[in-house]
Amino acid sequence: MSPSHHPADDILTAYAAGALESGFGLVVGAHVEMCPACRRRLGALEAASGDALADLPGAALAADAYAQTVARLDGVETHAPVADRRPLLERLPLSKKKWIAPGVWVSAVKTPHAADDRVYVLHVGPGRPTARHTHLGAEFCTVLSGSYRDELGVFRAGDFAAADGALEHQPLVAGDEACVCLFATEGRLQAKDWVGRLAFAYADV
Amino acid sequence: MGNVVTMHSRQGMSDEDRLVAVASGDRAAFRAVFENFAPRVKSYLMRLGASGAIAEDLAQDAMVQVWRKAGNYDPGRARASTWIFVIARNAWIDKLRREKVELAYQAAADPEPDGQEAPDDAAERTQTQAQIEAAINILSEEQKQVVRLSFFEDKPHSEIAETLAMPLGTVKSRLRLALMKLRAHWERYA
Repeated sequence: MSPSHHPADDILTAYAAGALESGFGLVVGAHVEMCPACRRRLGALEAASGDALADLPGAALAADAYAQTVARLDGVETHAPVADRRPLLERLPLSKKKWIAPGVWVSAVKTPHAADDRVYVLHVGPGRPTARHTHLGAEFCTVLSGSYRDELGVFRAGDFAAADGALEHQPLVAGDEACVCLFATEGRLQAKDWVGRLAFAYADV
Repeated sequence: MGNVVTMHSRQGMSDEDRLVAVASGDRAAFRAVFENFAPRVKSYLMRLGASGAIAEDLAQDAMVQVWRKAGNYDPGRARASTWIFVIARNAWIDKLRREKVELAYQAAADPEPDGQEAPDDAAERTQTQAQIEAAINILSEEQKQVVRLSFFEDKPHSEIAETLAMPLGTVKSRLRLALMKLRAHWERYA
């Protein structure tokens, strides 16, 4: 089933341009992988970007730029590497799981990102509540498997959600399958109770 | 030099024809593509926040990849400018992300390498040139304008995104916060 919650135009435009923070771009990319409609939108944005590139005034290159480049062509393999077809969750460089509660774990994604951002995978088993929380800054989320429900609706595998500091929510796992999500958040989550605060501090989210 | 003569005779070629020639190892065609695109790619990367030296390196990397991947280029799927833009953009993303996680960043660029493509992608393959042109028209005039603004106006993407976010009624703070803090990034990772 195709996703029903998509990144807004401004987010996809910034993603197409290569202008998103890398952790946030990763989350948008996870959605795009699962969303044929957004792949088409992205294709249009890339075509418009290509047009703009073709009209852009060039920057002066080093005098020997072409010679340097040509020197690197010999011995370069002329076929592209085979794409890694495993599900994204298996391709992500994840750190060790931290168990927060039965059925609930967090694993940081080991990609470089701004020091005050968090990029992580959260696994929540069926029937498990999560802590009510708010955000200091932006949060992007793509559901990798399962589904959750919060004040904004039901989010299933492939769905994308963006939140900012104004959103306070308590996501609940929907259905009888564990919900696994990829998050990028700016700043730490702000739990509304002390148990949540302890858990968030331990999980470093 | 034989190359110069060959290049001269290729001046009437489109960039698309040249990429197809590059796929068969044509150095003169590669030189023409390089001269047209490498300076523009460097300029684009500098607008994203790369220093001149890094933009130069990445532009050269991107052109090496143009050589390497030319066999994947399908003129029936994407214009040369789109394909090269995607290679340049991905070179930038890879530079930022030391750990490479392959993503669907290649929506318009690379064909699916094996038979596992999604039905939607299979349908897209039969696109004619006219349909490629039409595909851009998915975008509103405003969206195309924003894409162009981000290339031609010398201001950070974050500011442009703000001007975009307002007419589209999206959450301004969300985007501002999520946008790459480019200069800070380079200080940290370059």
